[in-house]
Amino acid sequence: MSAAGATFGSGRSVGLGFSLLIVALYVFLLMPLVTIVGASFTSGLMIEFPPQGFSLQWYQEFLSRKDLVDGLLMSLRVAAITAVVTTVIAVMAALAGQAMAGRMAGWFHLGMTLPLLVPELLTAVGLLFFLYKIGLGKTVLGLQFGHILMAFPYAYVSITAALRQVPPSLEEASSSMGATGWQTFRLVILPLVMPGVAMGAIFAFINSFDLYTISLLLKPIGGNTLPLALFDFLTYEFKPTAAAAATLSILLSLVGVVLVQRLVGLQRAF
Amino acid sequence: MATVEAIKLHKRYHDFVALDDVTLRAESGQLVTLLGPSGCGKSTTLRCLAGFLDPEGGDITLDGESILKLPSNRRGFGVVFQNYALFPHMTVAENIGYGLRLQKCPKPDMARRVGEAVDLVRLNGLEDRLPRQISGGQQQRVALARALVMKPRLLLLDEPLANLDARLRDEVRWLIRDLQQQSGITAFYVTHDQSEAMAMSDMVAVMKAGRVAQFATPREIYQKPVERYVADFTGEANFLACQSVAEQGSGQYRIEAGGTVLTVAGVQGLNGRAELLVRPETLRLAAPDEAADFNGRIVKCAFVGASQLCEIALPDGGTLKLTAAPNTPVHVGDAAAVVMDRAQAWLMPEVAP
Ligand SMILES: Nc1ncnc2c1ncn2[C@@H]1O[C@H](COP(=O)(O)OP(=O)(O)O)[C@@H](O)[C@H]1O
Ligand SMILES: [Mg+2]
Repeated sequence: MSAAGATFGSGRSVGLGFSLLIVALYVFLLMPLVTIVGASFTSGLMIEFPPQGFSLQWYQEFLSRKDLVDGLLMSLRVAAITAVVTTVIAVMAALAGQAMAGRMAGWFHLGMTLPLLVPELLTAVGLLFFLYKIGLGKTVLGLQFGHILMAFPYAYVSITAALRQVPPSLEEASSSMGATGWQTFRLVILPLVMPGVAMGAIFAFINSFDLYTISLLLKPIGGNTLPLALFDFLTYEFKPTAAAAATLSILLSLVGVVLVQRLVGLQRAF
Repeated sequence: MATVEAIKLHKRYHDFVALDDVTLRAESGQLVTLLGPSGCGKSTTLRCLAGFLDPEGGDITLDGESILKLPSNRRGFGVVFQNYALFPHMTVAENIGYGLRLQKCPKPDMARRVGEAVDLVRLNGLEDRLPRQISGGQQQRVALARALVMKPRLLLLDEPLANLDARLRDEVRWLIRDLQQQSGITAFYVTHDQSEAMAMSDMVAVMKAGRVAQFATPREIYQKPVERYVADFTGEANFLACQSVAEQGSGQYRIEAGGTVLTVAGVQGLNGRAELLVRPETLRLAAPDEAADFNGRIVKCAFVGASQLCEIALPDGGTLKLTAAPNTPVHVGDAAAVVMDRAQAWLMPEVAP
């Protein structure tokens, strides 16, 4: 700690340069967000930044467009189911990985995170063939399946990281006092990894909400997720309605994150 | 309460032999210490007893019945871990009551027993704190209370004092011994600290690379070690090499060591080379006209307050460490005559056969 302090304190110029870098990074990261949120409130007719005047007309317009609203509802539903199902499977997988020893654990970990390594498009094409084979091609269930597959590694990694923080001696202590495996999981492990589980769920939700390529190939007939609906929309009309839709979905994601954090915040963790 | 035996335990981690023929026995109400340097297999032995590890060979019995097939959650043993292993999301009271809660113990009964355990380890007033809100010594006492409240058939403690500072260590050590004796619980205690082992134990097992080098009372371990390793690990020691020894009657030897011919006791059945163990406290500088056992030269001395530590070189190349009274005149280079309590010298092999 003192070493780091000394490095940062050893000369104004370093400190200043570092601060500027941080600011630049923030601007870079927040720019798209600010632009899109700003553009959604314009009273003009084009997506532009800075916006002209202020109005809520594009929100009104968004809510009146059935294709976009349907897309939003579909995305929300798919993302919510993805978050729940993925998290449950990922917890089980992470526990299994934890119980393995040595080389086996390494291979298992690689296998579980494989969807991260394969390009999304290839996964999508592969899945499309597979889903047709088992009769789920172009169905909501097939789409759901694809979303869960893509979100799984994020949840798995987050939950595994949390599990690694729990000393094995806690499990042994619990067992020595008479707990079954399930009791140890429910009373000791789960409460301690809850923040990681919640993070996993959030990652899964956002990942699903954002997914484009997979959805494009697997979408059910007549159904669209919000990203697909927005892209279709933007192809023909470059109107701020899209910015309003984007802002709304950002807001919904934020609400989700805060909600989950609240739920977890009530738990007593480390 | 219960007599516990480990019989010829074998345990391997891949190709590494961690336990090789470990046999131990704790009579009902005894505290047995596993003593040895880091990596010699103490924790592995304890974890086999607790049921966290399955030995590949041997047996573990409780009052004569094998418990090897019982999983750890059905053995009914209390375990105190080196890192305490308290549940960080539970209060002190919840930690202590955890096992009772699993047994579906009725609420009032549970509150009473947790209260008694809290009294026992003197944690009153801290019941509602989380583990991270109390000190290391207090955490250790929670761990102890949590194990004892279940009235375990056997108590297993793995270096419970290792993370405490010296003053607390003393306090908690006596607390553990008192509670163990009051409740009459049979216990296995792991430590690498010889003074801890000596002071607390009914029996000590000195371990060496996965084997039990000697299993005996603290007094026997200290005064009659079976080999140099045991003598070295149990306290300050001088070793004088003896070239050829011959037994004269059972366990009695006539030897030459450090330029003197003596008759001493030792391990039975020795012949050929051996080592004479002379503890520093059995040596003193001779008074002016007193007959000396050894004559040598002072090569080191240091004043440490209550006494002076001296090292004396003997004519045959051996050295003797001893303590002298604080105001005795001793100088490096002076000749020194040393008297030994011959009854306490002990002859043993360098390495037990
Ligand atoms: N899980 C394990 N895998 C491989 N080797 C181990 C494992 N646990 C312990 N060992 C090895 O077994 C030996 C004995 O370990 P341990 O019983 O913990 O020693 P102690 O408690 O006496 O310090 C050590 O050399 C250690 O490196
Ligand atoms: Mg150990």
